[in-house]
Amino acid sequence: MSDVLELPIPSLGQLPQLEPRLADMKRRIRAGEHHRFRTVDTLDLWTECDAEQLSWPRRAARLTRRMCEAQTVVIEPDERIVFTRTVRRVPSLYTAEELAALTAGRTLHELGPISNICADWGMVLSQGLLARRRTALEARARAADPEFLEGAIETIDAVLALAGRYAEAARRMGRADLAEVLDRVPAQPAATLHEALQSLRLCHAALWMSGHYHCGLGRFDQYMWPYLQADLAAGRLDTAGAEALLAEFFISLNKDSDLYPGIQQGDNGQSMMLGGLRREGGDGVNPVTALAMRAAYAVALIDPKINLRVDRDTSLELLELGVQLTRLGLGFPQWCNDEVIIPGLLAAGYELADARDYTVAACWEFTIPGRGMEVVNIGAVSMPAAVDRAIRDGLAASEPFERILDRASEHMAGQVRALAEANRRLLLPPAPYYSVLMDGCLERGRDLCHGLRYNNSGIHGAASASAADALAAVRTLVLEEQRIEPGRLLRALDSDFAEDWPLLQELRETAPKVGNHDDRADGLLAKLFDLFADACASAGDNGRGGRFRAGSGSAMYYVWLAQGHDGMREPAVGATADGRHKGDFFSSSLAPSPDIPVRGPLSVLQSFGKLDYRRVCNGGPLTMELADSLFRGAGAVAKVALFIRAFVRSGCQQLQLNTLNVETLRDAQAHPERHRNLVVRVWGWSGYFCELDPVYQNQIIGRHIYGS
Amino acid sequence: MQASRTGVVFDIRELTIHDGPGLRTTVFLKGCPLRCAWCHNPEGMSPEPQVLRTATGERTAGRSYTAMELAHILNRQAPLLVDGGVSFSGGEPLMQAAFLAEVIDRLQGLHVVLGTSGQAAEEDFRSVAARCDLVLFDLKLIDPEAHRRWTGTDNRAILRNLAVLAELGKPFCIRVPLVPGVTDTLANLRAIARLVRTLPAPPRVELLPYNSAAGGKYKACGLDWHPDYPEHERVRTDLQPFDELQLEAAIL
Repeated sequence: MSDVLELPIPSLGQLPQLEPRLADMKRRIRAGEHHRFRTVDTLDLWTECDAEQLSWPRRAARLTRRMCEAQTVVIEPDERIVFTRTVRRVPSLYTAEELAALTAGRTLHELGPISNICADWGMVLSQGLLARRRTALEARARAADPEFLEGAIETIDAVLALAGRYAEAARRMGRADLAEVLDRVPAQPAATLHEALQSLRLCHAALWMSGHYHCGLGRFDQYMWPYLQADLAAGRLDTAGAEALLAEFFISLNKDSDLYPGIQQGDNGQSMMLGGLRREGGDGVNPVTALAMRAAYAVALIDPKINLRVDRDTSLELLELGVQLTRLGLGFPQWCNDEVIIPGLLAAGYELADARDYTVAACWEFTIPGRGMEVVNIGAVSMPAAVDRAIRDGLAASEPFERILDRASEHMAGQVRALAEANRRLLLPPAPYYSVLMDGCLERGRDLCHGLRYNNSGIHGAASASAADALAAVRTLVLEEQRIEPGRLLRALDSDFAEDWPLLQELRETAPKVGNHDDRADGLLAKLFDLFADACASAGDNGRGGRFRAGSGSAMYYVWLAQGHDGMREPAVGATADGRHKGDFFSSSLAPSPDIPVRGPLSVLQSFGKLDYRRVCNGGPLTMELADSLFRGAGAVAKVALFIRAFVRSGCQQLQLNTLNVETLRDAQAHPERHRNLVVRVWGWSGYFCELDPVYQNQIIGRHIYGS
Repeated sequence: MQASRTGVVFDIRELTIHDGPGLRTTVFLKGCPLRCAWCHNPEGMSPEPQVLRTATGERTAGRSYTAMELAHILNRQAPLLVDGGVSFSGGEPLMQAAFLAEVIDRLQGLHVVLGTSGQAAEEDFRSVAARCDLVLFDLKLIDPEAHRRWTGTDNRAILRNLAVLAELGKPFCIRVPLVPGVTDTLANLRAIARLVRTLPAPPRVELLPYNSAAGGKYKACGLDWHPDYPEHERVRTDLQPFDELQLEAAIL
């Protein structure tokens, strides 16, 4: 243990509450009262860019500048951490036709701009933007082509000018306290926790205004602790004051979440990582770890999404604090097992200090702050599609099981090749402002879009449990025990079990299922991921000096792969041999299939602990829902904390634990007005249940719920 | 070697909260000699597997396992249960004492808790309790007539087994289900406290407030549910009778 633990972790006996000032601030934000400040819908950036015939990099810099300039200063009388966005939408740099011409033969990722990575916030806060500017100036003196650096400087100046306008307004309003903070940051290195949070608020908001999205917050406790430590040492702040500042910062992250692009509101990647090993080794847990969790508990909003790194030595006290958050039903913390993730990243070629420094990019995929220009989710392989095709063709040809497995392997490899090929055409647009926040871009005079230390791409193996169950049913019931004749199964699959209800029952109730610590199914799950990892490994280079990392997430694919979607290359599968009707949802990421018998949460850990996560290191959590009634009695929080220990011990990689009450969810569908603030974990993020599309609401209601 | 005995189990639940210390898996053995008016697990009463008919369809409660099979299932979980162990509940697990003893003998390195009503033959009680690491012993009512009225039998065997348990020197703990108007009366709680006080090393007392959600299951079991006590009334959660006698007591 380290010197940082001199300060006791605040006791669990006194769970935090928001002070009245912050409770009112939260209420106003949830009610959208700040929307009245959004006086501008969007800007016309194109006309000037066209008139000046600006290059793409210069347009990207101009965007940051104009968006900063267009913001009206908003300082609410009770705010200590300021910035409220007043321009709703980020304008386009090009017309659609121009963009099509620019990207001919290339692929843009999702919306285009760089997303789903994490800045080196520690570096930014400790250096300040003026130091970054000096670095850019020095590099410009040496640079053959200064365009990138000039753009980067333009963005720095834009953010500084915005901070300057806020400082001026604060002074005019008689808010000398705020003016002093804004005079210093983000220009100078932060000296206090207050300055660090204000600096982060502005620098982070400017990323969103620059068109970036899924902007991760990284290892918050690691980079914030020096400031709190200095405050405590100087007697400027106590832990209660720190908790209030953290809570205010967290509330501020919720101001603009309705403006952020995502599949559903809440899918915005404002994730932060707490705890875990330090870069140089040793436990990184510090007082900010617990204070941030306490602040998140008191705030109880969808942002920021907390991730907590754990290992066998994580104290029960810290685990219990995390479980208090779980109990609230916010769907976080997401638990990350250092004992599995770090070796996985090492095996994937990450340096030891970097592997120890991992965070989640936005949802669950691992990346290294400041050092990763990874595209962590280029798409998903439909494991059910691969397995279904293999079963239908293999059984029709009376092939042995090994051959069916070969077919599934070939099908997955084909899917990986198609994704990889598209990914090699990937065009990452220039990102001058994001580059300022990354390691080495200014120093080398190279935009982030040309790559960083790590440039891997991630592919998820989605809906894996259903695929493994289908294989297990065929091997056990059709081929080994010969209880089901192959033709009967094929006919039933074609007719969606219309005339063979008993077969459906048998497949559901009798066949081995993932989630029951049954090697007949779990072994096939592990095998599928092995084959998938082989396919990713043999897909070679991703064209950006990186490899393809295999992952286990499903994101929205649990709906898309089941019901079809324009965004999917693979067609939706029909009925499947695990006893699943056509159109029924798959389980989320790693979880037993819906509507099958499952022994319980420990067996689920044991099933999914059998995967070789050293080869599946892109992330994608084991997803479990607990009944809220489980928490009714005293002692339940401590039990669930021990369950987290068991998760570490089981060798699983990542765990997303949600607390639900199905009756409440049904009532919220019927009477949304009564449940406006009901939060649920959807996939790598938490959102307001009533704001979700019904299809995602229903998928959640259909999940396995333990402890009811 | 003797063939493994067979027993009937109606549930194996993982991550149970109230069945002993740490992370636990609880095995619910089927069959119970008592008929407590407030019973939450009516599917545990009959010793035989039975079909439950619920709104969502039929399911069978109760499955036969050999002791070897059941022990195998539990032993496979041992790596995750190092911070806890397994618990046996019911029904009344001692209705299947020989089976249970064999299961426990086959467990490897697992902490074992027995949750019992105490209603069992003395030799069965001794045999199983001696094999466990902790016994959670129910005390419902001290007055024998009241006990007969609310559970169907008097409490003679139960009180005798409590004395046996105190002699055995096993760690144990008293569990009192708090049922409104039945077990939560001041007189009953005081009587329980007095009895516990007389034990050589008075154990901790844990009070479990009744939760009025049992009714639905009775219908599924084909039983009628006529609680003739005020089931929706708040239970007395008063530790004073125990505090007065300097007993360690807690509400779960």
